[in-house]
Amino acid sequence: MENVLSILFCLSLFYVIVTSRVKAYVTVLQIQGVLLSVLLIIQVIHNFSVYGIILPITLLLVKVILIPRYINKVISELEIKRRIEPTIQQMILLPIVIVTMITIFIVSSILSKNTAMDVIPFASGFSSIVVGIYIIMFRKKLIVHVCGFLILENGIFLFGTAVASELPMLIELGVLLDVFVVVFLMGITLNRISSTFKGFEVSHLGRLKD
Amino acid sequence: MGIDILQGIISIIIILGLSPLFAGLVNKQKAILTGRIGAPILQPYYDLQKIFKKETINATSSSFISRISPLINLVTLVIAAAMLPVGFWKPLISFSGDIILFAYILGLARFFQILAAMDIGSSFEGMGAAREATFALFAEPIFFFTIGSISFISGFTSLFDIYHSIELTNISYGVFIIICSISVFMLAVSECSRMPVDDPNTHLELTMIHEVMILDNSGIDLFLYQYSSYIKLFIYAILEISFFYPFSQQSYLLGILIFITGSAALTFVLGVVETIISRSKMKNIPQYLLFATAIGILNLLIYTFTK
Repeated sequence: MENVLSILFCLSLFYVIVTSRVKAYVTVLQIQGVLLSVLLIIQVIHNFSVYGIILPITLLLVKVILIPRYINKVISELEIKRRIEPTIQQMILLPIVIVTMITIFIVSSILSKNTAMDVIPFASGFSSIVVGIYIIMFRKKLIVHVCGFLILENGIFLFGTAVASELPMLIELGVLLDVFVVVFLMGITLNRISSTFKGFEVSHLGRLKD
Repeated sequence: MGIDILQGIISIIIILGLSPLFAGLVNKQKAILTGRIGAPILQPYYDLQKIFKKETINATSSSFISRISPLINLVTLVIAAAMLPVGFWKPLISFSGDIILFAYILGLARFFQILAAMDIGSSFEGMGAAREATFALFAEPIFFFTIGSISFISGFTSLFDIYHSIELTNISYGVFIIICSISVFMLAVSECSRMPVDDPNTHLELTMIHEVMILDNSGIDLFLYQYSSYIKLFIYAILEISFFYPFSQQSYLLGILIFITGSAALTFVLGVVETIISRSKMKNIPQYLLFATAIGILNLLIYTFTK
């Protein structure tokens, strides 16, 4: 069942690479949040504990409801245009991602011979981290960078569930809080930038002077 | 043995007879969903009958290739149709490794169509031929990665055996099948020049791929091309429907029932997809096709590492 969820996770990564709308990024973030919470709920069902339920519920609250709503609010308040404006052609990025994924799957299967871990969740988490970095590298809009960062964070989460079957819950909750604060700060920063410059592209920031 | 051949022949006749009906159903669904009454379901038959009566005129600059190409097109598609199972019936042509033949026999049809389009010497059709060749380049890996991954999973290399080994009770197998069916659907859309890739209704030179290649054909030639394009759509539909047969219980009645409901459901899906999606830009089509290839590669990767 974990493998199935990881496959769906990888499919969402492919979609996020080919899409060219900002709103689709937010939808993908929601889908990934749901997938991760289902993954955790399955683990709770296997060995039930009251504290085990708190994490998936918080995850659902933060990743599916709070953060996407906040990003949507920022998008509508700042009247950000819906195109993502890539720095390289979309067509080139997809083959790069495919090659990266193949490499990651091969590497993780080699790694799994020495360490105990699930190959598929591990590799999909790892590819999600790399895809997040690609999105931050190859997109111009700042709001898309925030989404890329969140995809990277989702990858770390999946990665964590694959390597250690149970991370200490407090750490996970702390990470969630951190992520929420970061997104919040990004929103405030975007607001500040919009009051100084026209537009929200990284290319504008290159011209900053003292 | 005798019954097998008889069943194979009957399934070919079913495919050849019902393929215009399938196209008609898709068009009708599309019309209803966009709020029109639409042409009657049997309209493709009327169209074929009308074209059949007309006189065949060949361009003066054309060579023998334009004359044999329509016939080759139809013959190859009939051979391809003979490899697909209808219901639980064993197809007429079935041997291990026939997935390769299936792919390349469709490739042969396309090759001759491209040749014939360039043979006429119109720059217009040359453009269509160039487009067809470009998108075929991206569509071929989809077939090999998806059908190839299923053939790896099942351990068979014949279409009938592959479909025969599908068990939907195993959940991870079920996910493989669903993902494969998504990518086969995207392949079908591109191969049969349906909506996000090509618009079957428009005759605007800038947008069309398949339609422009048969622009200078008339009469019997056009009839053969048109009929083979209907057959092609139905072939891909069967390729898609066959994923959903519960092959573990063998009952002919159930097979036929699933065949009918599956075709009806697929016409509905095609109609909905064509209603809600507009034709994408030419430069975005390779990306669309590459996305389907990526799904196939993912399938193969995941199967290799969970074995």
